[in-house]
Amino acid sequence: MAEDKYNLKNPAVKRILQEVKEMQSNPSDDFMSLPLEENIFDWQFAIRGPSETEFEGGIYHGRIQLPAEYPFKPPSFMLLTPNGRFETQTKICLSISNHHPEHWQPSWSVRTALVALIAFMPTNPNGALGSVEYKKEERRSLAIKSRAAAPRYGTTERQKLIDEIHECMLSKVPPVPQLSPSQDSKEHPSNREGNVQVSSQNDGATPAGEAAAEGSPNPAVGDRIVEEVQEAPLNGNPGPEVARTLNAAPSSGSSQLLQRPEMKVQKPADDRLFTWAAVGLTIAIMVLLFKKFMKSSGHGAVFMDGS
Amino acid sequence: MQNQDGVQVDGEVESATSVPIPEFDEWANFGDQDIMQQHSAIRAEEAEKIPFLGDKEPLSSLAAEYQSGSAILLEKIKVLGEQYAAIRRTRGDGNCFFRSFMFSYLEHILESQDQSEVDRIKANVEQCRKTLQSLGYADFTFEDFFALFLEQLDSVLQGNEASISHDELILRSRDQSVSDYVVMFFRFVTSGEIRKRAEFFEPFILGLTNATVEQFCKSSVEPMGEESDHVHITALSDALGVPIRVVYLDRSSCDTGGVSVNHHDFIPAGSDLPNASGGSEKVSPFITLLYRPGHYDILYPK
Repeated sequence: MAEDKYNLKNPAVKRILQEVKEMQSNPSDDFMSLPLEENIFDWQFAIRGPSETEFEGGIYHGRIQLPAEYPFKPPSFMLLTPNGRFETQTKICLSISNHHPEHWQPSWSVRTALVALIAFMPTNPNGALGSVEYKKEERRSLAIKSRAAAPRYGTTERQKLIDEIHECMLSKVPPVPQLSPSQDSKEHPSNREGNVQVSSQNDGATPAGEAAAEGSPNPAVGDRIVEEVQEAPLNGNPGPEVARTLNAAPSSGSSQLLQRPEMKVQKPADDRLFTWAAVGLTIAIMVLLFKKFMKSSGHGAVFMDGS
Repeated sequence: MQNQDGVQVDGEVESATSVPIPEFDEWANFGDQDIMQQHSAIRAEEAEKIPFLGDKEPLSSLAAEYQSGSAILLEKIKVLGEQYAAIRRTRGDGNCFFRSFMFSYLEHILESQDQSEVDRIKANVEQCRKTLQSLGYADFTFEDFFALFLEQLDSVLQGNEASISHDELILRSRDQSVSDYVVMFFRFVTSGEIRKRAEFFEPFILGLTNATVEQFCKSSVEPMGEESDHVHITALSDALGVPIRVVYLDRSSCDTGGVSVNHHDFIPAGSDLPNASGGSEKVSPFITLLYRPGHYDILYPK
């Protein structure tokens, strides 16, 4: 494509063209990235929200700028799709990797960085620059919105590329998980209580040690992902590895569907939520106590899949 | 003691930069971009002072540097003068060991036209390539660096259309787009060797930084500008099968009264050098580097 326009003697150009080629010959379901035709130092990308997180089903677009000294200097990243984890149109650069920028190394690539970026989405921003911390419900509704249309950004040529990437990602990324049919069918207010109850049960699960212990394996999975992430950009070629971890981690069994009902909650945050949350929390605690009682009396397996 | 040496040697390198540090209301606003900008500003200023690779200077220029300095150092430089004729300085940008090695090696090939040495190192380079592949590096992340080094290797051999002169070799060594690529090539080779023989290198690395082999390679070998230690030198020497002599110029003195200058020869382990089995004594390094705490330059024997 752009081969004739660029000085192939320029090592950065050579390297970037190789990355484009590599990207095209090993496409991933998790992300897609292409340079602008007019400037191969300027890329558009879209990543898929990691599954089993509130970003699942989301398609997040962004822009990558490669420095003239690439691969000696790191690329910089910005997101264009509102996502609730990173600010949009703000360079996130390497702050996300927790490593000093001069520790960028030429053995990393756009692919490595994108994989790291995906892995970072569900992590706690800890107040890092360019990060935001939205509620899960808000992030989920942003994930739904992200599919509806690609962001408007830049020149027509760039917009064309963004739209192309969006189409392609739409075909690859299954939609945001829907409400389960049983909950879907009920539309009257009492249903809300049910939703809130389960979601707050889950929220409450983390502080209550016993609940976390007997409940879902998610805290552990979360930790594992975080650990992987810290390591992610450092590997020689960690791409597939991390991607695999992300996909594989939550697939520990169908029991998760029962244990993580908040995945199905689609309603955006709402002021009344707090009132209901309080009620829900009370109920949740009672449910947990009941479960614990059942467990201690030997009937636990019915409720807890033998965990 | 050594610290003082460091300050003295590196004083010109590190402390004399006058890049203004912008005022920041909050350190929280001091982002990566700012750090990198400041870094490159310091580097740029540094670059004006000394090129990646300096000119050959008589050893007396080294003595001049310490005119008002330590008597022991002056003594030692005098002793050095008995064996060595000249010094060629490299920029103190953290890549000085690799850069010194690069020029020293290529210059040796240019002058000796040692075809068999070129064939030998090429075989080792191929081995390094396989090592990196087996460690899971994607080809495109390192092949440019390998290709550029092999290109330089061919061009210092005379008699083909790509051949270059000694002057051209110096120019290329000062040209970032060649020089840094070759430095990075060595970093890949070093990292690959350390990872491949992680068990061997682990205790040395633990002694240095208390990091794992993996962490060490990620933070101290592969990133540009990270300084080299004996671990790097051992690994590079082993991987490429090139012996290296390092002469130490520091303030340590021996009890015997007479001043002597220590050196250490890094002799490749298990290399396919013809006499590697017998004694390492027989292999004499054709690369000699002068080490002053924190910095390497090239030395020329008489």
